[in-house]
This record gives sequence, structure tokens and C-alpha cells, in this order.
Amino acid sequence: MSPHLLQEQASASSEVSGVLSGYTSVHVFSNRAKVEDGYLTSVYSYENATVKRLAGGKYEVTPTTVDYQFKLDLNVPKTGLMLVGLGGNNGSTLAATIFANRLGIQFRTKDGPQNANYYGSVTQSSTLKLGVDENGNDVYAPFNEILPMLHPNDIIIGGWDINSSNLADAMTRSKVLDFDLQRQVAKYMANINPLPSIYYPDFIAANQSDRADNLIEGDSKWDHVERIRQDIQKFKTTNELDKIIVIWTANTERYSHIIPGVNDTSENLVKSIKSSHSEIAPSTIFAVACILDGVPFINGSPQNTFVPGCIELAEKKNSFIGGDDFKSGQTKIKSVLAQFLVDAGIRPVSIASYNHLGNNDGFNLSAPQQFRSKEISKKSVVDDMISSNHILYNDQKGKTIDHCIVIKYLPAVGDAKVAMDEYYSELMLGGHNTISIHNVCEDSLLATPLIIDLAIIAEFFSRVTYKKQDSGDEFAQFYPVLSVLSYWLKAPLTRPGFEPVNGLNKQRTALENLLRALVGLGPQNELRLEERLW
Amino acid sequence: MSPHALDEVASSSVEVPGVLSGYTSVKVFSDRAKVEDGFLVSDYAYENAVVKRVPGGKYEVTPTSVDYQFKLDLKVPKTGLMMVGLGGNNGSTLTATILANRYGINFRTKQGLQEPNYYGSVTQASTLKLGVDEDGNDVYAPFNQVLPMLHPNDIVIGGWDINSANLADAMARSKVLDYDLQRQVAKYMAQIRPLPSIYYPDFIAANQSERADNLIDGDSKWDHVQRIRQDIQEFKAKNELEKVIVVWTANTERYADILTGVNDTADNLINSIKASHDEVAPSTIFAVACILDGVPFINGSPQNTFVPGCIELAEKHKSFIGGDDFKSGQTKLKSVLAQFLVDAGIRPLSIASYNHLGNNDGYNLSAPKQFRSKEISKKSVVDDMIASNHILYNQEKGNTIDHCIVIKYLPAVGDSKVAMDEYYSELMMGGHNTISIHNVCEDSLLASPLIIDLTVIAEFFSRVTYKKTGSEDDFEKFYPVLSVLSYWLKAPLARPGCEPINGLNKQRAALENLLRAFVGLGPQNELKLEERLW
Repeated sequence: MSPHLLQEQASASSEVSGVLSGYTSVHVFSNRAKVEDGYLTSVYSYENATVKRLAGGKYEVTPTTVDYQFKLDLNVPKTGLMLVGLGGNNGSTLAATIFANRLGIQFRTKDGPQNANYYGSVTQSSTLKLGVDENGNDVYAPFNEILPMLHPNDIIIGGWDINSSNLADAMTRSKVLDFDLQRQVAKYMANINPLPSIYYPDFIAANQSDRADNLIEGDSKWDHVERIRQDIQKFKTTNELDKIIVIWTANTERYSHIIPGVNDTSENLVKSIKSSHSEIAPSTIFAVACILDGVPFINGSPQNTFVPGCIELAEKKNSFIGGDDFKSGQTKIKSVLAQFLVDAGIRPVSIASYNHLGNNDGFNLSAPQQFRSKEISKKSVVDDMISSNHILYNDQKGKTIDHCIVIKYLPAVGDAKVAMDEYYSELMLGGHNTISIHNVCEDSLLATPLIIDLAIIAEFFSRVTYKKQDSGDEFAQFYPVLSVLSYWLKAPLTRPGFEPVNGLNKQRTALENLLRALVGLGPQNELRLEERLW
Repeated sequence: MSPHALDEVASSSVEVPGVLSGYTSVKVFSDRAKVEDGFLVSDYAYENAVVKRVPGGKYEVTPTSVDYQFKLDLKVPKTGLMMVGLGGNNGSTLTATILANRYGINFRTKQGLQEPNYYGSVTQASTLKLGVDEDGNDVYAPFNQVLPMLHPNDIVIGGWDINSANLADAMARSKVLDYDLQRQVAKYMAQIRPLPSIYYPDFIAANQSERADNLIDGDSKWDHVQRIRQDIQEFKAKNELEKVIVVWTANTERYADILTGVNDTADNLINSIKASHDEVAPSTIFAVACILDGVPFINGSPQNTFVPGCIELAEKHKSFIGGDDFKSGQTKLKSVLAQFLVDAGIRPLSIASYNHLGNNDGYNLSAPKQFRSKEISKKSVVDDMIASNHILYNQEKGNTIDHCIVIKYLPAVGDSKVAMDEYYSELMMGGHNTISIHNVCEDSLLASPLIIDLTVIAEFFSRVTYKKTGSEDDFEKFYPVLSVLSYWLKAPLARPGCEPINGLNKQRAALENLLRAFVGLGPQNELKLEERLW
């Protein structure tokens, strides 16, 4: 079976708009950036400081500056997005959303007509501050109009699923989108059938076995790797694509054991796949297949797909990887609120997080080993905030926040996930503050825009190269672990040896400042000296 | 009656520690900053950009760079804080907190032994990122140890109140602090009596008249100005202070009408005070008294103390003013959450904010005109977020968020203010997200640390001067409206013609980056290129 393309259906419509990717509205007159031969080349002085901790709680700070040159390929390639778990709630919602936007489908709800949009996507629906107008007030431009980026309407969608339902049936099953929208996109969706996928029953909940009717044959894990590589190549050729991004939005797997000799180095990992070792998870098979062909792979679930051997393989092949676990609802707010409290000098002492949801994600997470993966991912989010403030968290007062995560499967609520959190914090002189949050999300409507953002930003950074200004080196790609994606991920994968940054505002600041650097603007400083000085 | 200084009390104790103000633990080896004759002089290239909006939704961005020199007086002066409303919950709580910290008073609660602290104060209990250690991981230092700042333990407290209760009685009345702490500090607190204050019944709720037993005599408003100036001078002389900061933490007043010829210019305002015009509020009398003597004045309540004539007077006298309304609980969270949602491309449609509280602030706010002042202050907080995103908010889709504010007086809950907020937002494809927050604050334990921060930061910025590099001008002070204080204020007073910034993270970023500039470090960029590049 060959991958089914949205493009084929789209071309049948009279409403197809031209290519939207690559549109920019912002022109920066900077002498730090110039366009040459289809590339934007910019110079950037990266300032940081090296800090030495001295006895007695003292710090010695030595500022550092490194001059870099960045080079961005301005041509946005024709790009395909292949989802593992295409028939799940996220996959079917994403495909329908892209159809609706591309074809300009308007649908009716009880509130009236609703136009298609990409709300909840940072790249499509948020803005970046550029500077000030003649009155000194801030001016913001759309995030995706500063530099040429892929537009979601132009993304060609394909992928795999262990269930054979076509996407129209998958959309109905997921119960996410309004009826009138489903009605209008069903004819396009029905033509798309997911490719057979990989199913190792030990890694996901036993309750998923009923869905597993669309599987790649055979037991050889290396054959599976080769089959996935083949699928990607075919998809690329059939659709005349320049680039593919692969995103895991399938079931949460159990954690893999890290075993010396098995998955600890890239060589051992490849050897273990060749011997079909039982500790190699499906998601790692997909990751390895992508890495071997230089296809960016992002893991949107919490399991440790990126075992040490897998990261080493990505390093060797210089292939981009990113993960783990979409940060859509409860954890996203937590990475804002916990940071806010600690930065305000308030000491969170416990965070109790309860969730219930009724979609297939919840069904799979009702099994203990899969829940455990999720729990680890959700818990780590406050670690960097604790370690950032030794006034509030230290050996004497304690270095932890009591933190529990509960997830329950309640089919009745469907995709309308409910997250209930209690933040209990210590105020001045032993006082307390209790913030209770009841958050009703539409799980897939929050997660789907993140998939768009991850695909767009991963594609974007695969066009960026850099070198040190005066070096004779060639321009090189960024380090393979794309930690700039961390805004959208619960447990950001980092380069080995580095601590992840979870705070949402820091993550967004990093993204903003990188984009600014590429167009020759310095970091966002928020200083407004025009107002504050005479 | 003369002002009572805590220092008198302190001098009778054997436990008084030395001066803590001015301690720094951070040494920066920057060639952009050097110490000369007790001043830290730093060079800073301020980068921004001027943006021209071109038809068709295009932007032309021209980067700008201005070289400034900053000069910081490293000597922290002996400083007094005079509060208007000293006998209120904030005044008595703050005084007791300083005593407890200064004398190291431990107290017992049912949880065990509690040490005094300044949790909830950004300057005392939060940290700033300095750079990275040898492993590339972030290093944070206490906020108040980067540059010499006033320490709250060294602050000499005094002030005014329309009620004559001594601070021990005021503390008991406020029901904020634990009994065992009250027991130990009562003997010091009892010696402090607020100075008589100004009471114009028309400006605060009629229900406050029973408390008004400690009033400055006479009906001449100009005499009142002179009396306040005299009080400040006496307090300063008696306690051998070098500097005084005045903070309004008294009742919310009704809005003053802006009347042509009355309070629209500095001259008219002075004439109106001299004529004892009805429309001049007590808070404006205090502000004018401070401005005339160059004493920084901060308004912690929502009313429009700073009528246009008052701002003009501050400009003429180059005297610092800041306001309005302490941002402690519900609004602080709102300025984080609303920004987070909009920056995530999610469209808040309505925010419903309900509050109930049982302290005297709530009692006063139960009158319609005073509530109206509060409502205006609380509502404005999302204005700049709406203006920042024209994808979500525009003519076609609407430029507003439905927003209601309700405040109810429920004596039973005392100082434990309850804020209940519902954020209803539009997601992709007409989906919705509802975030409901139930926030139990201890109102005065959240607000008192803000008073400390406002005092410490206002004092700090009164020691900073600047000039353009290479110019022949003398170093001069910042513009009088201290908008760097906006992190702690609900409705930040901005320079006339400039839009206020409400987003909490932007406000904090501005503070951090100014401090960094003074020690010769560039703005916080969060780029972590050590991790992201090879």
C-alpha cells in the first residue's frame, strides 16, 4: 500500500491557494545580515559569561563573547510530514485541520459559522516584537513572517498506524471535530489509509491489541528499520518532496531498560536491532530508520525512545532529533506557573496534579508501565526551577517539591481532558498560598498545533548552518539534539551532560532571540529606555 | 507627636546585627564596567529598532543603537520608609516582619519552629542568572547580591495613619501573623504610633469614618502639604537618615475628576491645593509634598493620585514617582497567564474574576466609587496583550476580551482573600479551553514583600544616573516616572504618551537586563549556544 496524500485530493478542489510557505512581511535594514545567492548570512556576537563559584557564596563572572556567522537557506523546500500514529486523535485532527485551512472550508456550529484557523500554534497565531513605532510603542509582527518558513497548508501528510481505519473513520472515532466540519472533509479523509506500522505488544498496553490490525509483517527488527526507510523514500518520491519530517504521535510506550552492550552505544544499538533484541522499542526503530537517512525525527510521547545509543547514532549521522512528549495542557501551565512563583520569591512546597481523560491515549495510559513513562516526563518539569533558587531550596530547607501525578481513564469525557492541579506554596513568615486550577482542555485541539509548530521549526532549523566568524571551517548544522524545540515538549531532550530548561518563557525567549539573530537584531531586552530616560 | 523609629527600639536590644545593606557576592570582570571613587561606571550599547508599518501588512525595521554610560553610587544610604496607612494590615505586617528578621525572632506554629524570612520578595528571595559554570549549566545568584542594595533589616519605618492605634494593637487587629510571633514583637510594636494623617471623607468609603481618630488639624490643603513635608524632615533628622521613601498603602480613594484649570498642570494643581479645592485627594497631597522635596513617592492603591498636574510637577522637580496599585495576587497571576495564552496563539475570549476578602481593604472597597477605582486598575492588565497580537485580536474578530471584576466583603475570611477566575479561550477550529482558578491568598503576606521590593528598587534607581557616551552633558537621573517598578504594580504608571507594559515576564526581563547592564553584562538571551552548536 502506498502512502496517501492530501495533495491529490487538494488538487481536485477549485479553491486550492498557491504556495504559502516562505512568505515574509518583515524587512530588516541591518548591516549585520545580508542576502547572497538565496542565503541569508548574518553575523552575531554571542554574549554569555563563565561563572566560578567561590567559597563563602561568592561568584566570579567573566563575560565571554563568540562571534558567529549564521547562514539560512531562504528556499522553503516542499515538505512532507509523516506521523507515527496517523489514525489517532492527533493525526486525524491534524489532517482535517490542514484540509479545512487549505480549502477554506467554513463550517457551522450552534454558535454560527466558523472559519478554519490555526489557533494554538505559535508559528501561525502568535507574534514577535520587532521594535518600536515613531511613538515609542511596541510593534509586533506574525511569528512566521519574519523569516521564510513552511506553511502548514503546504505540508503533505502521510504516516503509519497499527490500526487500518481510513482517516475519515479515524476522525469519527476520535470525536474531536464538530460534525459539520467532519461532514465536509470526510470525502478527502476517506481516501487516506495509514501505512502498516510496527507493533511489539510488550511496549504498549495490552488493551491496544484490539486496534492492531495493520502491521508490518515479520519479526526481524532490522527488516522493520529497512521497511520504514523504504516507506519514507517512496513517500518522498511519489510526492516529489524535498524533505520529510517524522513525528511520533503514537501510543506511549513503557521505558526501555538501558543495558550495557545492548543500547548504550550506536554500534551496540544497531547490532541489537540486527539480532531483534527484545528491549528495542518500536519508537526507537522509527528513530533509527530516520537517523540513518538524515530525516528529522521528533518524539511526542514520554518514553525514552532516545536511548544513549540512539543519541550517539544521531551525532554520528548529524541527523536531527527532538523530544520528548508534547507539552500541551497541564504541564505547559505548570512550566509557566512554577517558574512565576519561584521567580517571585514564593516557595512551592507541593504540587498535586490529577487528570482524567477518555481518549485512546488515556486508555493506553491506564496500564502501569505506560503510566510510569508519563509520570517521569510530567514530574521533571520543575527540576530546573528548584535548582535555580537556592534561597528557597537548599540543604537546610529542603530541595524538593512534593509532587504527585494521577491520570485516570474515564471514557465518558472523551478528548475533553480535565486537569486539576493544586499548588501549595510557602509565603513570608510561614504563611501559605493555595492555587487550585481546574483546566478543561480539548486534548487534541491543543496538541495538534504543537505538531505543526514542531514540524515547521524542525524544518526551519534544518536550513540553518553556522560557523565561527573568523574560522576557516565550513558552515555546519546545529548539534543534532534540537533543544530549540523544547517550548513544545514536556521533558526536553538535551545534549548529554546539559540540564534541560523547562521554563516556558525561557524556551520562548531562546526561539525569539535566535530568529532575531538571523535577521541581524540583538536579543529582546525589554528595556524601553526611550520611555525611562529623558 | 513625633515619628517613631524602629531604630530606637533596636538600639535597646543586644541582638542587633550590623548593617546588611550593600552586601554583594558577585564580581564581574567586565571591561565595560569599572569602579571609580565609589561609583560603578558602565558602558552599554542600547539596541532597539524603529519599525515602519508599510501598506499590505509589511514592516520595515531599522535597527538603532545608542551608547549610554550608567553611573551607580555604590554607597547605600541609611534609608527610612514612611508608609501612609502605617496602621493597616500591610503596615503592621511589614513592621513586624522587619523586626522579626532583624532580631532573628523564631516563633512556633502548630507545624513547629518557624524562622523569619522575606519569602515573596523578588529582591530578597529570588535569583538572577549570571552565566554558565564550566559544564555549561546555568548559575544563579541572589537578586540583591549583584549590586549594592538596601537590605530590609536596615530600613527605618515610620508613617501616618488616620487611626491612632499603636502598631501592636494594629497588628492584633489585622489578624495576619501567627500568635507566637505577635507575642514576641508586641513590645517593640507597641512603642510605634502612626503620625496623624489626612482625611477628606469624600474620597474614601463612609464606613471608614469610625477609624478616623488621628487627623491633622485644619482645613487648608496647602497647610497639609507643608505638614507632611515637615513630618518627613523631622523623621529624617531624628533618625539621622540620608534618604526617605514614601509608599501609599492606605485606603483606595475614589477617582479624582480631571478638571481643566484645576489639576491639569503643575501650576494649576498647586493653585488648587492653595485654594483647598475639593477635587484634590489626600494621596495627591502626599505625592505633592514628596515631589516638592525630591522624596520618591509610590502609590500602592488604584486611584489616580497622579493627575496630569502631579506628573508634570514630578517632571519639573525631577522627583521619582511610581504607581499604581500593588500587584500581589489575582492580577499578578493574570499578567502571567493571559500573556502565556496569547503568546501560545490561544485566544482568551472572556476572563471572569471574582474576589472576596474580609479585611479593611475589602470593607472600604464595598463602596461603589472606591470599587470603581479598583475595577479600572484590575481591568487594564490585559490591554497590552491584546494589542500585541493582531492575528487573534483585530477588527474582524474583535479587539476585546469580555472581562468582569467582582469584589465582595466577607468579614469572616479576614485577610485570607479568595480570588476565583475563569479564563475561557478559543482553540483551533472553534474548540475551547476553560481554566478555572481558585486562589487563596494571605493578602498582606503577599503585599508586604512587594512594599519591600518597591522601596529597595526605588532607592536603588535613585542612585543611578546616565548620559549618552561622548556627550558633554552631565549625568542625570532617570525620567521621574519609575516604570521599572511595574512588576509590582497592577496598573503601571507610564510616561505620558507611552503604553504601559503589564506582562510580568517582560517587566522582570527589563529589571534583570538593567541590572546586568550596570555590571557590564548584555541582556539575558537564553540562547545556550554552548549546548546547541557543536
